Amino acid sequence: MITFAAVSLIYPNSTKTVLENLSLTIDEGEFVLVIGPTGSGKSSLLRLINGLVPHHTGGILAGDISVDGISTKSVKPGGLAHLIGIVGQNPINGFVTDTVEEELAFGMESLNIAPDVMRKRVEEILDLMSLAPLRNRSLATLSGGEQQRVAIGSALVMHPKVLVLDEPTSALDPIAAEEVLSILHRLVHDLGITVVVAEHRLERVIQFADRIVHIDGLGNTRVGTPAQIMSDSDIAPPIVHLARALGLEDVGLTVRDMRRMSEEIRGASYSQKIESLQISGENVIELSGVSLSFVNKTVLKDINIEIRAGEVVALMGRNGAGKSSLLKTIVGLHECSTGSVDLLGNNPLTISGTKRRETIGFIPQEPSDLLFGQSVLMECEQADRDNEIDKGATFELLNELVPGISPNTHPRDLSEGQRLALALSVVLSAKPKVLILDEPTRGLDYQAKSHLVSTLLRYARVLGRTVILATHDVELVAELATRVIFLADGDCVADGNTLDVLLSSPAFAPQVAKVMSPQPWLTVKDVISALEEN
Amino acid sequence: MKDARHPLTLWIWSITLAIGIARGNNPWIAVVVVGCAYLVVRNFRTSAPWSRSFESGLKLGIWILIIRTTFGVLVGTPIPGTTLFRLPILPLPEWMAGIRIGGAVTQERLFSTAHEGVILAAIIICFAAASSLTSPHRLLRVLPFAIYQFGLALVIATSLVPQFVTSISRIKDAQYLRGQKLSFKKILIPLLEDSLARSLDLAAAMDSRGYGSTRVRSRYRAITWNAADTVICCVSALSLLSPTLILISVATPFILIKRRVVVPT
Repeated sequence: MITFAAVSLIYPNSTKTVLENLSLTIDEGEFVLVIGPTGSGKSSLLRLINGLVPHHTGGILAGDISVDGISTKSVKPGGLAHLIGIVGQNPINGFVTDTVEEELAFGMESLNIAPDVMRKRVEEILDLMSLAPLRNRSLATLSGGEQQRVAIGSALVMHPKVLVLDEPTSALDPIAAEEVLSILHRLVHDLGITVVVAEHRLERVIQFADRIVHIDGLGNTRVGTPAQIMSDSDIAPPIVHLARALGLEDVGLTVRDMRRMSEEIRGASYSQKIESLQISGENVIELSGVSLSFVNKTVLKDINIEIRAGEVVALMGRNGAGKSSLLKTIVGLHECSTGSVDLLGNNPLTISGTKRRETIGFIPQEPSDLLFGQSVLMECEQADRDNEIDKGATFELLNELVPGISPNTHPRDLSEGQRLALALSVVLSAKPKVLILDEPTRGLDYQAKSHLVSTLLRYARVLGRTVILATHDVELVAELATRVIFLADGDCVADGNTLDVLLSSPAFAPQVAKVMSPQPWLTVKDVISALEEN
Repeated sequence: MKDARHPLTLWIWSITLAIGIARGNNPWIAVVVVGCAYLVVRNFRTSAPWSRSFESGLKLGIWILIIRTTFGVLVGTPIPGTTLFRLPILPLPEWMAGIRIGGAVTQERLFSTAHEGVILAAIIICFAAASSLTSPHRLLRVLPFAIYQFGLALVIATSLVPQFVTSISRIKDAQYLRGQKLSFKKILIPLLEDSLARSLDLAAAMDSRGYGSTRVRSRYRAITWNAADTVICCVSALSLLSPTLILISVATPFILIKRRVVVPT
């Protein structure tokens, strides 16, 4: 279906080869997963398939890519619209119309398909993607998962033979992600559509993949079955790390496989010494009876939370459950309708300038919102000046977090992980008592994530500061958090230590816990230390 | 979110109103027309992002009125008449004779500049009314293929404007939380980067979905031109004939829409 023949790609004004001599044939009805570190060229590979690279982006392309016998050299992306459906990283950025129905019809209108055919196909897709109740809704009012479903639907409605998706679950909560992936799985099996997906969170998607393309960022690529690639890949889901740590012969790719292989280990009885970290710092944040409502919608309902120094608190919950609103209330962007927020004796609405920097640091969903300098160095110097610390201290901090960033790089040219590290070092240089992060792992690869985990752990444990993060990433929560607060529809439905909360709900349990249930282990490290003790 | 009228109808309505205002050159009529247009917008608009553009047009109009009147009073040759007050005269070099800054402000001068300002503002507000009532995306669909590139730019611009507003507030919040004093530069740089990335995304999405790849587009929902559209357009044309008839034409959509609400279809 898709043939890459000796493809090499290099972007203008860049010395780095994105792809070098890649030859790959993808058959009809295959589910291919593209993995690699951030900035390694996964998106470029996907966009090569329908010719957005190089038609839209520029770049020098050698070799040839053809889809169903049509070479992307000979036609523009529009000419392949009937053959390839492509769904970008942020579906909302690609929406062209106002409502769900119109969005689904847009591509067909462009291809001049007869109205009665269109109507029939739109109805089909509305059913297939369970979008029927949303048909007249405005796109801007949909949740992340719904938007993703509309984007996939509007690609499918053209009856494409190939569906290309760039990180389809990065913005979704675990349940919405599962829903989207199972739809993809069904499409492959029921309709024989060829699916190519790039994704960082392998734990969500690897069980569906027939083959994996691994890009290392230096132009080299490896292609193989999941078992082949996972036997020695450095990019691997927790479940594979678990298999390696346990010294199993095969790597299991699904929870089911791993449970079968680890029956003995799981079945043995262990003298449990569950160390629940007792944190006895002073209260830094007190929320009492906080509710928040906008024009005609209540976002938070009567939240009572106390957070101590040294705690790492994870806020979890569905898309739109009120996580961001709660964070914004704590940092003082929203004034709560009733109740009060106490931040180290201050009202967060009133502090500003240096006092704010030293009290509370905030990393927004888009870390680049914080940045306005022309280079990494300028950004760091600004932070040095703001916080009246030694010149170069911020850059040193950045170097500790992620070594090897050139000081003259423009912040825009950094990879997602590097940009987050820059924003983090700018904020941390003021040593705030409370650090707040909103969805920090969106678009981060495993390596960048483990850097983030160790930085935040050090900050909380060594300096005794408070870290609060909103996230969908259960694996991150398992590694990092001491306490989990679970929000649903603006209500605080669970609040307790990480182990209890994560184990009590299967959807939000990390992979290792699912494999090792009923043993109370969340991470590979937990398993290893429990085994060593016995 | 269904627009009841053909997307061109209200544009024709507002263009004829604008021409009528310009031809009639009567500030009182212009003010009444703006008032009626506001009522129409208030009754007819949806919750779509572009529906707020009437307010932006109103603000723009008022700014134009203020700036124009101030300059009209300060600069230029005086009109003789009742002097309201005197401003100090700014001495100008010899070669700029004929231009005067400051001096006596007469009632006549003030009225005539304010008059022109009101007409200009009213014309702009008429266009704002049409744009807040019509979905740019629907408008785009009835425009011919020849202006496809223009359409692409229009879609990108109209989808970006509401995103612009949310981006600005997001960036302002982030900078405030970084403890920064707000400055134009600190907002502008992330904003431009963000908007550029978004518009590239959108252009790529439209292209990969085949926008502009065939000369003819089909329509999922036929956009029909019905009797009410014809009535509105014909009555609107009256305002081209006589400046007083404009008061009838401005009210037509209002009456027709009122009827639609009473008789649900």
